[in-house]
Amino acid sequence: MAVKIGDVFPDAVLTYIPYDAHNPEACGLPQRLATHEAFRGKKVVLFAVPGAFTPTCSEEHMPGYVEHVGELKSRGVDIVACVGPNDQFVMHAWGRSYKVKDDILMLSDANGDLGRALGVASDGTAQRMGPVRLTRFAVVIDDLRVVYVGVEPVRGVSVSGADAVLAKL
Amino acid sequence: MSLKVGDEFPQVLLKYAPYDAANPGACAAPQVLDTNNDFAGKKVVVFGLPGAFTPTCSAQHLPAFVAKADAIKAKGVDLIVCVASNDTFVLDAWAKQENVNGKIILASDANGDLGRATGLSLDLSKLGMGSQRLTRFAVIVDNGKVAHLSVESNPSEVAVSGADNVLAAL
Repeated sequence: MAVKIGDVFPDAVLTYIPYDAHNPEACGLPQRLATHEAFRGKKVVLFAVPGAFTPTCSEEHMPGYVEHVGELKSRGVDIVACVGPNDQFVMHAWGRSYKVKDDILMLSDANGDLGRALGVASDGTAQRMGPVRLTRFAVVIDDLRVVYVGVEPVRGVSVSGADAVLAKL
Repeated sequence: MSLKVGDEFPQVLLKYAPYDAANPGACAAPQVLDTNNDFAGKKVVVFGLPGAFTPTCSAQHLPAFVAKADAIKAKGVDLIVCVASNDTFVLDAWAKQENVNGKIILASDANGDLGRATGLSLDLSKLGMGSQRLTRFAVIVDNGKVAHLSVESNPSEVAVSGADNVLAAL
């Protein structure tokens, strides 16, 4: 990863569909989220998945965060966000399948800007999953400074999981 | 370079997660769909769309094809394929949500090969959706040859590429 502890987290524009408590089934209009503007002054846990709806992401990575989001927030985390290489509609649908509501922000890096800025872009062409993918990781960002980095070295969830992040807070 | 009627439909490898009637909730291992070998000797309807779970695609384009799948097949169509740039996992989840139940193969062009080969790709990076999407279209492929092609001039609409348009062209 191109950022290490102590660095300023890059400024990237991601997209998401906000949760509407009045109309939870609605497919809201996509919004842009600029990381610097949204994360300034806040404590953020951001975890990245190679793909929404894929087995490891769906069975191991995401559920850990869904289960521990309350605990993360009780330890001073303001925003828990999941970023994937899928578009905002897919990320929104995936989040809905876990009933995350607005507890976890489901962000799209479909253009690959954040992946490139962090040096964690991966190419899934060989698996016929398209050229814009993300390596699995988790970061803790405090007022835009990176205070924890966990990039998964192999398949599976260890340093990028909710338990690993909780242990660091 | 764009696909037109009379052309040979390009040979491209797509991927899809096959439907298992005995285990419809299962996430099946992806299979390859070869547009050359798997379409040979057959009449195939292929419709493309910008993305699974997006408003127009979910509300209008796919459901109409699911509803009219039997009517389309009754007119001699052997296979109905929906193609999008999403990967097989996303398409499989979408198929389950839309109750496709195996009537249509949802095939992935995640690498953008079909988009490039047909000239039907769509750059949606300004919307933050990546540059290798497919525009909205419908093709009838008869034993490998393009017999009918309708491409939406506005990909947010379903005006010429819907199930009714295809039925009328069969």
